[in-house]
Amino acid sequence: MPHTQLEFVIGAEKRIADIVSRAEIEPLLRSLVKAGPHYAAVLDEDGLPICRQGGDGDDDAARELRHNLLVEGEPKGTLQVFCGAAIGGVADGLTLLARDALQLIITNNLKRMLTTEVHTAIVQESYDQLVETNRKLVESEKRYRELAVSLEQQVEARTADLQKAYSRMLQQEKLAAVGSLAAGMAHEINNPNGFVRSNLNTFGRYLERLREMLNCYQLLISGNTPLQQLISQTEQRRRELKIDFVLTDSAELLRQSLEGVDRIAAIVADLKSFSHVDDAGPADADLNLELERTLSVLDPQMAGRVTVVRDLQPLPPVACQPGLIDQALLTIMQNALLSRNAGLELRVSSRVEEGKIVIRIADNGCGMSPEVLRRVFEPFFTTREVGSGTGMGLTVAREIIAGVGGSVELASVEGEGTTVSVLLPLPETAGTVT
Amino acid sequence: MIEFSEQERRMVLKLVYYGPAMSGKTTNLLALHDQLSLEGRGELMLLDTTEDRTIYFDLLPFFYEAPSGMKIKLKVYTVPGQVRHDATRKAVLQRADGVVFVADSRSEQMAINFESFDNLEKNLAMVGLSIERLPLVVQFNKRDLPGVVDEREIRAAWEPSGLPVIMASALQGWGVQETFRTVLGLTFDGVDARYGLSARFGVERDEFIRAVLRPAEQ
Repeated sequence: MPHTQLEFVIGAEKRIADIVSRAEIEPLLRSLVKAGPHYAAVLDEDGLPICRQGGDGDDDAARELRHNLLVEGEPKGTLQVFCGAAIGGVADGLTLLARDALQLIITNNLKRMLTTEVHTAIVQESYDQLVETNRKLVESEKRYRELAVSLEQQVEARTADLQKAYSRMLQQEKLAAVGSLAAGMAHEINNPNGFVRSNLNTFGRYLERLREMLNCYQLLISGNTPLQQLISQTEQRRRELKIDFVLTDSAELLRQSLEGVDRIAAIVADLKSFSHVDDAGPADADLNLELERTLSVLDPQMAGRVTVVRDLQPLPPVACQPGLIDQALLTIMQNALLSRNAGLELRVSSRVEEGKIVIRIADNGCGMSPEVLRRVFEPFFTTREVGSGTGMGLTVAREIIAGVGGSVELASVEGEGTTVSVLLPLPETAGTVT
Repeated sequence: MIEFSEQERRMVLKLVYYGPAMSGKTTNLLALHDQLSLEGRGELMLLDTTEDRTIYFDLLPFFYEAPSGMKIKLKVYTVPGQVRHDATRKAVLQRADGVVFVADSRSEQMAINFESFDNLEKNLAMVGLSIERLPLVVQFNKRDLPGVVDEREIRAAWEPSGLPVIMASALQGWGVQETFRTVLGLTFDGVDARYGLSARFGVERDEFIRAVLRPAEQ
């Protein structure tokens, strides 16, 4: 709101006409003239009348009375009274009376003006301060608003960055899990592959002998040589070439090779179903099946040194991405496998408890100290040697389980073993069954 | 400076008695009013007060006319000391030519004195006056009361500032004129330096001070 700046300087000089108006003094002068004098006037600093009452009169004996009117003690105005001789000495008294009354009006007016000026100055200053305060408030509000907007954008950008980094991490963790799996798998595939190859080599040599044997029979059939001689020669060759053994062994070789190839096929099938490469997205999964799949891909790593104890109760199907669940279970089991070298017992159980699906994976391994236990879910926390663990395994596992509304709990006693419990909510339709 | 007209050979100066509430600013003016001759001064104007406390200001005007015809009007004001009247203090302080800071000598008032002095410094800056250049006199009032801070202690604390420090009892009427004379001299010097009061307008310092401080007839 625009306003006129009022500038008062306390003490600024005032003219008498600023302090009293003609209307204020006119009644007084009129009454004074009524009492006798020819005329009465109030003059300003320059001797010019502010107000004058009465006429000149044509009285040669008339006399003029003058009195100063003070402003802040300084003579500024003049009361001028022109009296005829007729009223005599009363004129002096009347004039003094009028002077005192005028002086009172002037002084009181001045006081009122001064208080009003101070008051106005203060009000103006308060208003200016308010306007200034308001301006600053508006400005700071604007600044905060801008800050809030840019903050929001920054938060969004950071969140997107984090989301990206997290996805990358998840992918890396998955690759790491697959990598360690692949090492075991390679060994497992190489074994049958080795003996299938060796069998095929042997069978190749057998095939040579059989060809030679067949040639002998061919000669026999063509009948150019005396029969008896041929029969004995063929019989001799057959013994030399150990055809009976070759035939028996070939059957064995082929059976073994088929078995080997089947084993490879089975391993590949396990890996394929574990990795859920064919899954498009969420599906109803039987978690017991997922547990079995995970155990079977770990089989090569466990062979001979781990006793697996299963206690799997029937579970309702759970809507989830089985591939992710398997990754979480794999991480937990891999941790268990690393907890002890020989004599490891892995107890895997599943059941419905208190309205939840509970999967427990327990080992009799080294366990964890309370300090370690407190930190296992921290990203990048690892007790393994640099390079052998990302420190993200359990963090990612917990995220995956949390993603389907579940949680992961750990209980561990140092030197005795660790139990990891995966708790998942029951599917809503199953809730009514229990 | 309130007003200066070279043509009319007329100058209106402003002196302000500043200080904390109840330190005796109005009492200083009352004492000057009683002690100085009515000739050359006006009446003391007390603006509306409540319970004897100044809420606007008091005014004691002085008039001096040099033999050269140069007229100097001196308006001496008090400000309200209470903290809440800061805006009024600022308004009165505007265009001041000299300031008397009236402090209360009682020991329990020392912190309040400093606070008020800080306020003076701040307000001077706000109305565009420099505390370095403005004539400023410090009066320690109420020396008649028991429990006042020792004079040597006061001088040790204040004199490093370079400001004149004067002991007074406005109630008993002593120290008041000395304070007024000191601030008057400093103010004259300040105005003289800027406008050439003596050189150009024939106003003599001692004569001016003597006239303003003309004692009342006994």
